[in-house]
Amino acid sequence: MLSTLLTAASLLLVPTLAVFADEAWNVDYHFALLGAPKEETSFFHQPNPSSRASLIYTLSEQHALGAVNPRDGSLVWRQLLSSDGIAYRNSFLRAGEGQDVVISGVGHEVAAWSAADGRLVWSLSTEGPLEDVEILELSDGKETAGAKDAIALSSGANPTVQRIDGASGAVKWQFIIDGSDAPYQLSASSTQIFAILIHKTILGYVKLRVVVLDRVTGHKVDEYSLSSENELSTTENIVSVGANSASPMIAWTDSLYTTLKVNVVGMKSMQSFDIASHDDSPIEHVKVHAPYHVNSLSHFLVHYQTATSHWADVFHINLKNGKVEKAYSLPKLAGRGAFSTSTSDANVYFTRVTRDEITTVSSASHGVLGRWPLNTFGVVAGIGEQVEPIHAASEVSVKGDTVSAIRTTILLSTGDWVMLRDGKGIWNRPEMLASTMVVTFALPADAAALVQQLEVEAHSNPVAAYAHRVQRHLADLQRLPSIIVSLPQQIVKGFLGTSADDLTASDTFGFRQVIVCATREGRLVALDAGSPDKIVWNVNVADLQPGQSWEPYLASRIAGVVEVSSRAGAGIQYNATNGQPLAERLPVVPEGPQVPSSQVVLYTVHDGTLEASYNRTPAWAFTPMHGERLIDMVPRPVNDPVASIGKVLGDRRVLYKYLDSNIALLVTAQDSMGTANIYVLSTVSGAIIYSNVHTGVDLTIPIASIMSENWFAYSFTNEASDEASKGHQLVVGELFESLVPDDRGMMGATTNFSGMQTATEPFVLTQTYQIPEVISKLAVTRTRQGITSRQLLAVLPDSNGIVGIPYGAVDPRRPVNRDPTKDEQAEGLVRYTAVLEFDPKWFLNHQREIVGVKNVFTSPALIESTSLVFAYGLDIFGTRLSPSFSFDILGKDFNKLQMLATVAALAVATFIVAPLVMRKQVDQRWRFL
Amino acid sequence: MEADDADFSGRSPILRDPYYPSPNYTSSFSQAHGIACNTSEKKPRIAPTCYSPPDPAMYALGSFLILLPVTLAAHLTISIPASPPVLPNPASLPASTHATLLGPPGVYLDTPLTRRNTFEFSNLTVGSHLLQVYARDYAFSPYRVDVSLAATEDGDTERRGTARIEQELIQVWQTFRGNEWSNLGPKIVEGTDSVTVEIGPVGRKEFYIQRGGFNVLGMLKSPMILLGLFSVVLIFGMPYLMENMDPETKAEFEEMQKKSPLTGSQGAAAQIQNFDLASWMAGKSAETESSSGTQ
Repeated sequence: MLSTLLTAASLLLVPTLAVFADEAWNVDYHFALLGAPKEETSFFHQPNPSSRASLIYTLSEQHALGAVNPRDGSLVWRQLLSSDGIAYRNSFLRAGEGQDVVISGVGHEVAAWSAADGRLVWSLSTEGPLEDVEILELSDGKETAGAKDAIALSSGANPTVQRIDGASGAVKWQFIIDGSDAPYQLSASSTQIFAILIHKTILGYVKLRVVVLDRVTGHKVDEYSLSSENELSTTENIVSVGANSASPMIAWTDSLYTTLKVNVVGMKSMQSFDIASHDDSPIEHVKVHAPYHVNSLSHFLVHYQTATSHWADVFHINLKNGKVEKAYSLPKLAGRGAFSTSTSDANVYFTRVTRDEITTVSSASHGVLGRWPLNTFGVVAGIGEQVEPIHAASEVSVKGDTVSAIRTTILLSTGDWVMLRDGKGIWNRPEMLASTMVVTFALPADAAALVQQLEVEAHSNPVAAYAHRVQRHLADLQRLPSIIVSLPQQIVKGFLGTSADDLTASDTFGFRQVIVCATREGRLVALDAGSPDKIVWNVNVADLQPGQSWEPYLASRIAGVVEVSSRAGAGIQYNATNGQPLAERLPVVPEGPQVPSSQVVLYTVHDGTLEASYNRTPAWAFTPMHGERLIDMVPRPVNDPVASIGKVLGDRRVLYKYLDSNIALLVTAQDSMGTANIYVLSTVSGAIIYSNVHTGVDLTIPIASIMSENWFAYSFTNEASDEASKGHQLVVGELFESLVPDDRGMMGATTNFSGMQTATEPFVLTQTYQIPEVISKLAVTRTRQGITSRQLLAVLPDSNGIVGIPYGAVDPRRPVNRDPTKDEQAEGLVRYTAVLEFDPKWFLNHQREIVGVKNVFTSPALIESTSLVFAYGLDIFGTRLSPSFSFDILGKDFNKLQMLATVAALAVATFIVAPLVMRKQVDQRWRFL
Repeated sequence: MEADDADFSGRSPILRDPYYPSPNYTSSFSQAHGIACNTSEKKPRIAPTCYSPPDPAMYALGSFLILLPVTLAAHLTISIPASPPVLPNPASLPASTHATLLGPPGVYLDTPLTRRNTFEFSNLTVGSHLLQVYARDYAFSPYRVDVSLAATEDGDTERRGTARIEQELIQVWQTFRGNEWSNLGPKIVEGTDSVTVEIGPVGRKEFYIQRGGFNVLGMLKSPMILLGLFSVVLIFGMPYLMENMDPETKAEFEEMQKKSPLTGSQGAAAQIQNFDLASWMAGKSAETESSSGTQ
C-alpha cells in the first residue's frame, strides 16, 4: 500500500500529461471494427424474444464476434474470439429462434453469449478443432426450459459429436465417430442427428458418409454412404449442407459445374439437375441459399456466378416424398449478385442485390414483390472501378402481397459493409480497415504543390523566378471570388472557434495529413487525419488471387505522393490527395520473411542468423548463441531528429548523449532456459555495445521493444524469483558518451567518428519498473525537430487501450533510495519507485475501447509541439499528442471570446473614463493658473 | 518410465511450449479431459456416457492415465458483488470486462465476464498465479491465487504412481505490486477444488482532467484578491465615510485617532515615520527630545 501511495505521490510531481475533457472525443477518432463479415455468420436476430427490434450479429474473418445496431451501424458489443491472431479455418455463429443467446464456435471453443449485452453464458472446449456447431431447433422435451440445446462436431484424433445443454453448457452425451473419415457437417431433424463425413476413396474421389444418431441418447442408429461416383473430386464442390431448415439437404456439383446433385438428408437417393449455361464464361461458383428456420417452407435457391453475370434457380422440396423440383428461375443479370434469404412466418423471401437494384421475390412464385433502384452504394472506390456486392443479409417486413420495408446489409467489393433501407444508404462501416497491414502519412498534394513551386523559384535565376511568381499570383487571383464569398463565414468562425479547430481552411499546422493504409486484400485506403470520419479514397492496387498474400511497403518520400511496393517489386506512386496512380499496376512478388530495414542497411534472417548488407554486399552477421531465436529487432528510426546532443543538468553542466544513428535493439529468446537476451548492436560494424539477460521470462507473452534517440525500452513478463516479483516489467535504458558531466569520454577529442574504426562503448543507465499489465507494442511520439520531450506509447491489450507514458516518469536517472537533490529536482527527476502505475489520465483512448491493436504509427505535424498518432490492427484509432503541451499553438484553453470581452470591456472603460479624466485635467489647470 | 511419459503428456497442455506446436497437443489435451472424466465425480460438464463406443485403445489410454494426479480439477469463480458507492450495479459492466490469470510460464488464462457477473476459471494448474480483473471504468487490485495439492496425513504431496484422488487447495490472497512474491498479503479465501471469491472494484478510473478555465467566483475567493479589494474599499470608501459622518462623531473619531497609540502624533507609526537618526545617534531618546521640544 505504501508503495502505491509513494507512486501516487511521485506522479503528482511529474507534469501531468493527460487527456483534457474538452479535447477527448473531438481531437481523437476511432473506428470500432469487426473485420469483413462472413456470409454464413452474419444475420439479423432479435436479442430479446419479446421485442421485435433486431440487431445484426456477425462473426468476422478476424474472428471478432459482435452485434451492430441496424439503425446507425454502431457497435453494441464485441468479443474477440482469437486474440493471438490465429486464423482458424472454420468459425460458426448460430442463433436459435426466439433465443436470447448466440452460440459461437471458433477453434476448440463453443461458447454461448448473451445476445443483448455480449456477456458469456457458458463455454466449452472440445478435444479437436470444431467442424460444425448447430442448434437443435425442434424440442424433444429433454432441454432445460427456455434454452435450446446445441450440437457440436469436432475433428482431431477422435471425431466427436456432442450434445450440449443450452442453459448450462454441460455435455449431455458425446459420440466418438470411428474411422479415419474427416468430419464435415452436422444436420438435425426432429428425431435424429446426421453427421456428414468426407470419405476419400482410393482413387482420390470423395464420398459422403452419413452417420445417423439418436437425438436423445446419442447412440448410432444408422449409417450410409452417398455414392457420388466419380464426380466429386474435392470438398470444394460441395455447395451446401443444409442444417436447420425444414428439410436439410446436401448439394454438390461436378468440377465443371455441369450438373447439380441434391440429396435430402435422411434419404438415400439423390436427384440431379443440369446446369444451363447462360454465358460464354465458365461458372466460378455455385451457392445455395436456404432458410434457416425449421417451420419455414422447404424452398431453396441456387445462385450461379460467372465472371460477368449471375442467375439463380429456385427449388422446392416435397416434404412427403423428399422429391426436389425446380420451381422457377431468376433471369441472368450482368455483374455480381448477392442473394439473401429472409422469412416471415412460414413464407420465404429471396432478396437479390445487383449493381443497380434490389429485388425481392417470394420463394413460391417468381413475381417481384418489391424493387428498389440503386444509384450508388455510397462508398468511395477507385476510378473506373465497379462496386459489386459480395454477400448480403436482409430483413423484410411484408404487408399483404408487397414488401413494405426492407433492410439489407451488404459487404461490397471495396470492403465496406453498408446498410440499405429500401434501397437508400443508411450507414457504412469501413471494415476493410480492420485488415490494415502497413500505414504511412503523407502531406496532401495541394499543400505539397506550394512547397514545390517555392522550391522552383528558389532554384532558378531571378528573372525567371520573378516571372514564375507573377504567374503563380495571377493563378491565385482566380481563387479570389471564392475566398471573398467564404470570408464572412471565416471571420465568424475565427472569432468563435479556437485556432486548433480551424482545420478546414488551410493546413498550417500539418494536422490534415493523408493517412494511407494498405490492407491485406490488396487495397490502399486513405483517411484524412483532419476529418477522419470519411474515407478519402480507396483503390485496389494489387490483383490478389484467392489465397495469395502480399507484403506491402508504403512510403511518402516526396510530399504529396505515396509510393507502394510489394517486397522486391518496383514501387508505384499515387497522388496522396485523390489516389490517382502515377504509374501502372503493381506487380506482386512472392515474399519471404522480412525484417524492418533502414534505407541503407538491409537485414535478412537465414537459419536464425541475422545478416546485414549495405548496397547488397554482406556486411556482418549476428548469430545468436545455441538455442536462441530472434524475437524482434528495432533499429533507430531513419528520421529521428534530436534537438540537443546533451542533457542539461540542474547545475548547467551537460551529460552527452550517445547519439549514433546506426544502432538497433535486438531481442532474442532461449526457450529451454526461459531467458530473454537484449542486445544493442552497432548496425555498421555489427558490434554488441550493450547486452543484458533476463531469466524466468514467460516467452509466450509478447516482448515489446523500442529504440529512439539515445534510449531504448522493452517490456516482458517474468516468473517470481529472488530478485523479481511475478508480473510485468518495463526496462528503460539510456546511452551516454560518459557519465561524467561536461566530458565526452573517448570521443571528446575527435571531430569525426566511425563505428568501424573506433570501438567506443556507451555508458548505459538502465532502470526497471514493475508495470500492471502486458505491453504488446511500444512506440514513441515523433515531432518535427525533436525539441519536444518524448512520450512512450504502450499498447495494452488487456485494458484495450494505449497509454502515453511521459519519458520523465521512466527516466533511468531517477535517484534510487534517496530523495533527489536540488539540482535533480530542477531537472524534474523524482525519487525512483519500483512500481509504475498507469494513471487512467495517461490513456490516450480514455473511454474508447481499442481492440486488437497491432501497431502504432507516429508522425510529426508541421508544428513542433504536436505528434500525430495512428493505431491500427483491428480497430483504427488516431489522435494528436502534445507531450510538452501546446506551446506553439493556441489550444482549447485559449478562450477567444474571453479575450474579446476583455478588449471590449477595456474599450468601454476608456470611453467612460476619458471625459472624467479630461474634466479633471481641465479643473487642475484652472486651479493652478 | 511409462508413468513418467504419461505424466509428461498429461501436463504438456499446461506447460504449453509454443515452439513445439506438435499435433500431439490436441490429443494430449483430450487425455487430460479423459482423466477428469474418469476420476472426478465433480465434473459437471462430461456426462457419464463418456466413452459410448467401447474402444480398446481408449481403455488402454484411460488405464494409464488413471495413474496421474488430478491436476486439472481446480475451479475458481470470481464474482463481482454490488459495491454501492463505486459500482452499485455490476450488471452495468460492459462485455469487454475480463479477468486474466498469469500462471507459471506458458499459462495465461483469460476469461470474459458472464451473465451472472462472474469470471469462471476451470482446470487450474498447480502453481501460483497472478489474478487481475480489467474493466473499462473501474480499477481492481491484483490478487494472488495459489493452487497446490492438499497435503496428506504424512505431509507427502509427491505422487506415488498409484491411483489416488487428491484434492487441490486453492488459496486467494491480496497482493501488492512491487512487493516480493514471497510476501503474502491478507488471505481472502481458502478452499479445495472449487472456490468462489468476491472481488469488488477499488475505485472508478478518472480519465479526464478539466482545464483550469476563467472563473470569476473562484478568483474572488482568492485571499490575495480579497486583501486587495479590502484596501481599495478602504482607500476610496474612507473619505466618503468621513464626509458623511455627523460633525460630533467626526470630532470624536478624530480625537480617538489622535489618542490611538498607532496613529496619533505620539503613536508608534508616527514615531517610526518621524524617526530622527541623527538625534538617536547623539544618544537622545525620543522622550527627552520631545520633552525638550516642549520646554
